[in-house]
Amino acid sequence: MSGHQDLDRQIEMLRNCEPISESEVKALCAKAREILVEEGNVQRIDSPVTICGDIHGQFYDLKELFKKGGDVPETNYLFMGDFVDRGYYSVETFLLLLAYKVRYPDRITLIRGNHESRQITQVYGFYDECVRKYGGVNVWRYCTEIFDYLSLAALIDGKIFCVHGGLSPSIQSLDQIRMIDRKQEVPHDGPMCDLLWSDPEDTNEGWGISPRGAGYLFGSDVAQQFNDSNNISLICRAHQLVMEGYKWHFNETVLTVWSAPNYCYRCGNVAAILELSDSLVRNFIIFEAAPHDLRTGPTKKPQPEYFL
Amino acid sequence: MAAAQAKTAKAGATAASSADDTSDDALYPIAVLIDELRNEDVQLRLNSIRKLSTIALALGAERTRGELLPFLTDTIYDEDEVLLALAEQLGSFTSLVGGPEHVHCLLPPLESLSTVEETVVREKAVDSLRTLAEQHSPENLERYYVPMIKRLSQGDWFTSRTSACGLYSVAYPRLTPAVKADLRKMFCVLCTDDTPMVRRAAAAKLGEFAKAMEQEFLKSDLLPQFFALASDEQDSVRLLAVEACGSIASLLPKDEIEKRLIPSLKSAVEDRSWRVRYMVADKLTELQTALGPDLSKNELVPAYQQLLRDGEAEVRTAAAGKLKDFCNALPPEGREQIILNNIIPCVKELVNDSSQHVKAALATVIMGLAPVLGNEKTVEQLLPLFLIMLKDEVPEVRLNIISNLESVNNVIGVRQLSQSLLPAIVELAEDGKWRVRLAIIEYMPLLASQLGAEFFDEKLTALCLAWLVDQVHAIRDAATKNLRRLVEKFGLEWAKQTVIPKVTELSKAQSYLHRLICLQCIRNLADIVGREAAMKLLLPILLTLANDPVPNVRFNVAKTLKEVAPTLEEGVRANQVKQALQKLKEDQDQDVVHFADQALHTIY
Repeated sequence: MSGHQDLDRQIEMLRNCEPISESEVKALCAKAREILVEEGNVQRIDSPVTICGDIHGQFYDLKELFKKGGDVPETNYLFMGDFVDRGYYSVETFLLLLAYKVRYPDRITLIRGNHESRQITQVYGFYDECVRKYGGVNVWRYCTEIFDYLSLAALIDGKIFCVHGGLSPSIQSLDQIRMIDRKQEVPHDGPMCDLLWSDPEDTNEGWGISPRGAGYLFGSDVAQQFNDSNNISLICRAHQLVMEGYKWHFNETVLTVWSAPNYCYRCGNVAAILELSDSLVRNFIIFEAAPHDLRTGPTKKPQPEYFL
Repeated sequence: MAAAQAKTAKAGATAASSADDTSDDALYPIAVLIDELRNEDVQLRLNSIRKLSTIALALGAERTRGELLPFLTDTIYDEDEVLLALAEQLGSFTSLVGGPEHVHCLLPPLESLSTVEETVVREKAVDSLRTLAEQHSPENLERYYVPMIKRLSQGDWFTSRTSACGLYSVAYPRLTPAVKADLRKMFCVLCTDDTPMVRRAAAAKLGEFAKAMEQEFLKSDLLPQFFALASDEQDSVRLLAVEACGSIASLLPKDEIEKRLIPSLKSAVEDRSWRVRYMVADKLTELQTALGPDLSKNELVPAYQQLLRDGEAEVRTAAAGKLKDFCNALPPEGREQIILNNIIPCVKELVNDSSQHVKAALATVIMGLAPVLGNEKTVEQLLPLFLIMLKDEVPEVRLNIISNLESVNNVIGVRQLSQSLLPAIVELAEDGKWRVRLAIIEYMPLLASQLGAEFFDEKLTALCLAWLVDQVHAIRDAATKNLRRLVEKFGLEWAKQTVIPKVTELSKAQSYLHRLICLQCIRNLADIVGREAAMKLLLPILLTLANDPVPNVRFNVAKTLKEVAPTLEEGVRANQVKQALQKLKEDQDQDVVHFADQALHTIY
């Protein structure tokens, strides 16, 4: 019980956008590792659950998400990666989600996005934010170690396959994903990299080269084949900004969900989450960025390189 | 710098040796603090400066005067942060240097601090100097304080002359006539300084100096300076003169104001810089008080009309925000006519203003006119404007109107509300923006008490129940709390007929999120519907949902049972409730187990 009290206090702090101490981060990550190591590469989830896409450190917009979708643990959540980088509050965002995961492991699922990586976070802001807020690299190190333990995908009621990026030419069946040794930095190529980096391509069939320099573009035939052979009805993914918050591809076999409204505080897009009821009835919820008076501004000027 | 360091070394050494002398460990920290006054680390120096009073206390008054203050006078080459702390500390140092007869020895360091480049430090030093002025005897004031003002006023650099402006009004009243005349002359020189920064400081302090001055000199010496500043080439100077105008007006008789100040005010209203016009709008109520009822009516009303129609949105926003205060402060006699003939026509234009900020500012205050105008005129003149604003495309405008509806309701009563405002409220209740809906929900209990159950049922109950299944969680959540407040007003019978059937229906809803709202309704209602209804109508729902297939529902049943248990009969608590919780404690989901366990601990 005393462990819960401590954790509940930390959750309360993080909900107010106050970072917890470095030693608390260390302890939190140790507990999170014990839980995450038990989860599969393709984590099984039961409905009902609310599916969310990229957050990117936009803490106040994450709070807006909870206002519209309901709080943890009342509402079940699946976050499909990219918790950190670009926004001003990657530290608070990731730690809040992780604290929820430790406190209510059955109510919230976190899977890995391409930004949950040592290399990427050093370029897009999370590393700098950790150093700025904690005066050293330890917190970044604890968090990136936890990234290695995050699941690569999730499967809801055996029917909905959720992944950050998309499919891989090296993967035909879910079992092949289950075979991956995921506890490592995201590789530059290969199946694990593709799951986190690929995108659907609406105009072409088959496989294409991705302009991102990692992962592939996959066409409707690839998605259809994957769904048929794995007895799946839908591939749900994030990874790409869509102005309307969500977007269907390939005759509703693939879905993009994006949960960072006004991405980078300047894109002007709305965000979405997808509520799946106990009987897998879909309900999209659209939301906008939190109003300005609900935010406290960043204490220091943001690093200019965030937006270069 | 070298001299400074030598002196600190001395102060440090002497303090350390005095610690040795008395062999008192309590003095050791003081020696450390003194030592840290010259540490390389800014943070340490800052800490030390913040504890300066402790150091001074330990050194005693004599050594504080003789050693510490000379040293501090030299440290003003330090970082701004340290200087700021120092400037603040010295303002409350009088007792530490030996009381009022020695207070003048604090002037040299503060004088230096009032000349530095950083504005914040200078302002703090001036603040401290102003505090210290009143602790000087009249003799010391002339002997030490006035020469300091003189030096600062004649300083080479604008920083010292800027600081000087703030010291005149505090010294002036207690001086001999000859010295007073000197000060007046020096201040006039500052008012015509070459540097705009200095003229700005003089304009900002003009009002308070005027208040400290004899009226004859005010007219002969200061007024000409005011006119010069009010027509300064820099708008940043002119706008400060607007503020001074109010202070000066409050000191002059009516005919003098009319003759001499009104022309300045009129030209400020027509100033080519919008910042000056904005200042007039911003200071409108202060000017109104200073001018008195007659002049306000004759001179300020036209000025106000002009500001309400200004070309700049910023000016119109400031002017619109003053609507209620300005109208309330008009002399009661003829007020209604002025509002109807002069003000309302401008307001009508603002209702359709192109700037949303103007409309939003207007929306927060326009309702305040209702009590002034009374029932008939409100209905005739204001209601149409409210209705237009209630349909404004900008949600903030609508919200501001709604959250101020109360003052209108007090004037025109329920009947008008129902016929004219309700349709608009109903429309807003279904607004696409959830924060607008949230604001409306919060207004419901108030409407309920004003309309009564029957009328409320006809128009609004359905809305209140529909919010329970709103797409947005925050709305559903607010809707449950709103239901509680409605049941408090309308009573148990109303709850049984309208609310509880809906709650029962929600318990069978398809989405688990709606079943959770059912539980939250029960948490909100149980204690106010009373024991019998809670047991008969609400408990069965809970016991059914304890077997829900979704774990989130089951652990919320546990949470709810924990909260409603006190309202239930002892026997029921001991049997059905306990059994249900014990079953939940054996659940396969760990959260259900956790909350069931917590409930069992709390109840039993």
